[in-house]
Amino acid sequence: MNFDFTEAEQAFADEVRRFIRANPPDTFAVDGMDAGYGSGANSRAFMKALAAQGWLSMCWPKAFGGREQPMFMKLVLMEELALAGAPFGPLAGVWQTADAIIELGTERLRRDVLPAIARGEATFWQGYSEPDAGSDLLALKTEARRDGDHYVIRGHKIWSSHAGIASHGLVFARTSRETRKSRGFSMFVVANGTPGMDIRPIRSMTGEVYHHEVFLDDVRVSADVMLGPPGDGFQALLNGLDADRFWGRFYKAPALARVLGQLVDYANTTTVGGAPLARDPFVRRRLAAIAADIAALRLIFYRAGCLIRDGAPLTYQTAMAKVYADETGQKLARLGMDLLGIWGPLREGSRWAKLGGQISHLYQTTLGHTIAGGTAEILRTSVAVRGLGLSAEPKAPVETKAP
Amino acid sequence: MDFRPSPAQQILTTTARAFLRQHCPPQLVQRLALDERGFDEALWRRMAELGWPGLLIPSDLGGSDGSLLDVILLVEEMGRAGLPGPFVASAVVATSLVLAAGSPAQQKRLLPALAAGERIASLALVEESGSFDLDAVALACTVPGRLGGRKLFVKDAHIADDLVVAVRVGATLSLVVVPTDRPGIARLPLDAISGEKLFEVTFDRVEVRPDDLLGAVGGGGALLVPALRAGSLARTAEMVGGAQRVLELAVEHAKTRVQGGRPIGGYQAIQHSCADLVRDVDAARALLYAAAWKDAEGRAAEADAALAKAYAGEACLAVARRGHQIFGAISYCEEHPLHLLHKRIQAASLDFGDAQLHLETVARAIGLEGRP
Repeated sequence: MNFDFTEAEQAFADEVRRFIRANPPDTFAVDGMDAGYGSGANSRAFMKALAAQGWLSMCWPKAFGGREQPMFMKLVLMEELALAGAPFGPLAGVWQTADAIIELGTERLRRDVLPAIARGEATFWQGYSEPDAGSDLLALKTEARRDGDHYVIRGHKIWSSHAGIASHGLVFARTSRETRKSRGFSMFVVANGTPGMDIRPIRSMTGEVYHHEVFLDDVRVSADVMLGPPGDGFQALLNGLDADRFWGRFYKAPALARVLGQLVDYANTTTVGGAPLARDPFVRRRLAAIAADIAALRLIFYRAGCLIRDGAPLTYQTAMAKVYADETGQKLARLGMDLLGIWGPLREGSRWAKLGGQISHLYQTTLGHTIAGGTAEILRTSVAVRGLGLSAEPKAPVETKAP
Repeated sequence: MDFRPSPAQQILTTTARAFLRQHCPPQLVQRLALDERGFDEALWRRMAELGWPGLLIPSDLGGSDGSLLDVILLVEEMGRAGLPGPFVASAVVATSLVLAAGSPAQQKRLLPALAAGERIASLALVEESGSFDLDAVALACTVPGRLGGRKLFVKDAHIADDLVVAVRVGATLSLVVVPTDRPGIARLPLDAISGEKLFEVTFDRVEVRPDDLLGAVGGGGALLVPALRAGSLARTAEMVGGAQRVLELAVEHAKTRVQGGRPIGGYQAIQHSCADLVRDVDAARALLYAAAWKDAEGRAAEADAALAKAYAGEACLAVARRGHQIFGAISYCEEHPLHLLHKRIQAASLDFGDAQLHLETVARAIGLEGRP
């Protein structure tokens, strides 16, 4: 056992800290809402600053312009960025897409998209969910029809985060009818602005726009923007979702630790009923208990990170970790609202808002986290079935309509 | 970072698991819980032959040069088997104290015998306040002189040959180690649901000699803090091992118990319960290993150990309680192993400080000012 970083990892963490001191996160322009996951707001300017350090492509093979750094460096970078509250919103999605393109991508994707990623210019939205295909993703209706060297995509995607400000969509569509329900799907990397693509914002309960719905009205794309083998996209997607659960939540523990630190400061400096809040035994105990949750969460993610690094099989670990991350986030947001009391609901920018109004934002955004990217229910079932070997619940018979 | 035990540690745990499966089946745990004395001397001797009680003791004093992390991994297996007995009190806490502060004569007299399992020692700390907070120790003693008063919740006092007693010499916290056959010492059993053997120990004008002092006068606090931390981590390991076993039993039951035409594990209500058991066990174990590793590396681990103990107390107890719900009525029976694991976890969650005490340590570590 060893719970330390290696010397190289520690040196990199120090380097990232120096970078953050020289480039304070709040000086970067923000393009899109912080969804509360811990990766901060969407900031193209910050992504470009990361790119300028060579950090977006640092783990890629040299043949693709990378420096072949070990995968753990990405964890070190994300942890430091999250602790600092930096706006690196698109980072995890960008890395996942880059890895998929390096592994499965066509020459064209490698030539066109990878360099844009390395420059911090490409970010991606996920076109997976549809109005009638949420947890039951295979019920999706979007189709991509082959037409010579092209595919013509037609359908309706929804809950696509930051689709309006990203450069490309990852569109998951049916490409053939096959007897096995999980076959016949393919993934396409579709540039925003392609004719026929209509991206419309969905205003969320926070009052801001995070999600979009995307209408794909005969969007014509070249066949070589398909990511992975045709018809075999579902397994690739599942692997991608496994990774998504890890990479999309890894930074939650440090981000929550940062919020916890702010709540501790608040408790230390706030007097309620004539006594400092920090002296209330109940407050002390609740803050301490959630500190234990956050410490456990961090270790659970690093343990999964070690399994990924070592190429060991993952069954339940990322699904469990995601549920734990999201439920801990909700717990902390609730605790924050309790501590702030009547000041809690005030928004950022409001007179009298405490802690910059961010707790009310966190309280709302965290509500979506146990829904997005696999609901807590789907993931608990996955832990039980894939991790513990319990048998899947039989599917209820459904009337199928002819297409 | 590496979460895996070393190859030698893996051998230790697989050996321990196989040994305990053979020599400490649930039936034995049950019998010992119901038995008033509740101590299997033959099993203790076998454990001593494997070198377990001497794990923390250097080889030149008859031990096997292990680390606290080795001990934690071993105790996790003991917790998994529900092994009762004085291991943590004697081989972890009392042994740590004698190692840290014993005079050469005390070490020579006690450590080889403790390592060989020929002597058993326990700690007499808690008083009528019921607190593991060292400030709560009030039992007055003069050295040389007499000791009069009582200690509570002394584990396995009935089979202990020596007691390390936390006392006040003047205003200062100090330790004395006295043999239990010294005139004036009486051991009165408490009756706890866990089946653990706990005692009130009374001291009636017990003679205390200068060479009974363990460490310097006033040195008790500095000695007890790391020893209690070791005990606390060991009890945490016991909880994690016990919860791991509950998880295994519950999942096995969910796969084999058929209701409504299918295994109950095929229902999402049970699946989701089982998924939460995995999270609780994994998270508690991760905190335990990180804290024990840090402590074994000689780094400041007070807050880490407190986190781990407080967390496991909640999480492992939740596992046990949920285990009953998954098992249903059968787990309510005395002959079923679940309640033994459950009550052991419950007992361990209180030993060496409950969650409230440890969370206060955490509260200070995360920067909360003042005291409640």
